[in-house]
Amino acid sequence: MNSGVESGSRMKGVSIVKPIVYGNSARFFGKKREEDGHTHSWTVYLKPYHNEDISVYVKKIQFKLHESYANPIRVVTKPPYEVTETGWGEFEVVIKVFFHDPNDRPLTIYHPLKLFQTENNIILGTKNVISESYDEMIFQDPTVMMHSLLTTNRQLTLGAHKHETDFEEQEKSTIKQLNSAKQRIQTEIKELKERLNSSRENIKSFRDEIKKLEKEHEKMDIT
Amino acid sequence: MAATSDVCDILELRGEESKTITKARIISEGQKKKPKAKQNAFKRPEGMHRELYALLYHDNMDKPPLLPTDTSLTYQTAKAKLGGCTVVRPWKWMPFTNPARTDGAIFYHWRREEDEGKDYTFAKFDKKVKIPVYSEQEYHQYLSSDDWNQDETDHLFDLCRRFDLRWHVIFDRYDHARFPRDKKRMLEDLKERYYGTCNSLGKAHKQLSEKYDEIVYDADHERRRRQQLVRLFARTEEQVEEEAMLIQELKRIEARKRERERKSQDLQKLIALDTGKDGLRRAERKSNKKKFPGSGSKKDGHGVDEKVSETTYGIKFSDCKSAGVMLRSQMMKLPTSVGQKKAKSLELLLNELKIDQHPMPTEEVAQLFNRLRSDMVYLYDLKMAYANYEMELQTLRYKWDALAPGHLPPVKDAIPLRGLSDSLNINKHTSKTDGENTSKVDSAADQVIDVGCPSPPAVKS
Repeated sequence: MNSGVESGSRMKGVSIVKPIVYGNSARFFGKKREEDGHTHSWTVYLKPYHNEDISVYVKKIQFKLHESYANPIRVVTKPPYEVTETGWGEFEVVIKVFFHDPNDRPLTIYHPLKLFQTENNIILGTKNVISESYDEMIFQDPTVMMHSLLTTNRQLTLGAHKHETDFEEQEKSTIKQLNSAKQRIQTEIKELKERLNSSRENIKSFRDEIKKLEKEHEKMDIT
Repeated sequence: MAATSDVCDILELRGEESKTITKARIISEGQKKKPKAKQNAFKRPEGMHRELYALLYHDNMDKPPLLPTDTSLTYQTAKAKLGGCTVVRPWKWMPFTNPARTDGAIFYHWRREEDEGKDYTFAKFDKKVKIPVYSEQEYHQYLSSDDWNQDETDHLFDLCRRFDLRWHVIFDRYDHARFPRDKKRMLEDLKERYYGTCNSLGKAHKQLSEKYDEIVYDADHERRRRQQLVRLFARTEEQVEEEAMLIQELKRIEARKRERERKSQDLQKLIALDTGKDGLRRAERKSNKKKFPGSGSKKDGHGVDEKVSETTYGIKFSDCKSAGVMLRSQMMKLPTSVGQKKAKSLELLLNELKIDQHPMPTEEVAQLFNRLRSDMVYLYDLKMAYANYEMELQTLRYKWDALAPGHLPPVKDAIPLRGLSDSLNINKHTSKTDGENTSKVDSAADQVIDVGCPSPPAVKS
């Protein structure tokens, strides 16, 4: 480890963003299974948003399932990073991402496992339930070693890398929503400010009037 | 050591002189036998450090013991050896007189022989208070008073002497029947007479050169004090309760007043920031969008202003510039500095605008989302300020009503953007402006309701 000192130093001001998608898919058996009462088979996963092999810098990913499962802590060291199980209930999966650089503390992501269809979650009209989220891993001031790992690009598959959810569309609509909301809040702030100003003047003049009146009263009392 | 002395004792080797035990002997025994400190064989040479010298030579040149030892001189050697070597000082049954007694009765008690003939030990505790004496002539010369005659004064002094100035006893034994008066003499009266007398006598008796220390007794003050205490004591339970209640009320009122003052100060700041800054703020943002950072000295100044207003009003999100890995979604977490109330109202407001509480965390979304929530909090603050103004107006209105009942407050109709609670209040006074006001209420309500934070009360009429 000659370059140990070198590779351990951080690169100030460098920030690398790696978008990821995590979530689960679930399929209903169609009936309750006799032997254990399980009703669904599901897969919880974490994958890169872009087509890249994250195992270059990710050492392992740990999925922590509900305690009622045998060995609830499942560790995956190679892509695809996923755990397939059967079950009957929803719970929160704790996903922990460990990196090759020991200086970087593991990331913790919480994903509520979704088995049952809800109205706004019907996708593709199939029986499959998909619940996935987008997030971005931000590597602020990475070490030299990590930086080199992060910048080596290795494709995960030669084929198309697709996601169940159209995140581009989602981002667009979110931004649109946020912008309109901002407009609304801004106008409200403006109006309220105007009202505050008038209110202040109002109070001031009211005060003056009252003072005048009080003086008059005093005069009247004296006379 | 103990063993040798024991042997000596057994063999009666000691001389007669040490037969009786004394306290001094017991105490000094240990010290006498202490060996004198040896002269140091080796003197510290000039220039040698004290610490170094201490390593080479010290008082006790032995190596430090590995095991705890108890051969050194301790309290054990100083232990009093009471048995054996002494003859007990004899006691004797003897008579004694107590000088405090006037009848000269003689009693007997046990006492050390050597103390025979000495005074009774407890006689020293027989203290007498010195009560001044006066002759009849002196009385007429110095002490005559309109309020007191000599008989009564004599009686008072007699009591003082008998009870050693224990005033409550004196007051109790005072013969009120012998000296009947319209107003019964109070304890303060007795004290005043006594101390006054003492002072005049003292002044009369003193030599010209010496100074007489007057006894200060402020009878009027004492009387008032008693009066107050009596009153305090005579309060009924209801009165006590009422007083406590009133005190509490006062505290509450004061607290509220302070709160109001504090709020109005905050308000002044808020107003100072929001007047005229709005335009600048927008301009600044536009310039940011065009990516011309620091393109002019003018804009720099505005930038600073904007920052101030942002940090004071709005949310300060952590900029997350610390090294390491993190998730974008963490950047959108509300900082803990945002209170629960505000967080809750933010949540409501977001719901109302149909915005996800946790939107998809891309960079742009995160920025927009944080900015939006910051604005929302600013709006919330303004809203609170407005509510505060409303309250102030309300109090002013009450004042007005008290001063000029039946008259319309002078400022009412001058302001087009009327607050909500005011309009209701107007309805109380006048019926002719009713229609106008309700319409105002509606429009105002529209503007205010969709902000999910506490707004001025009484939205519905």
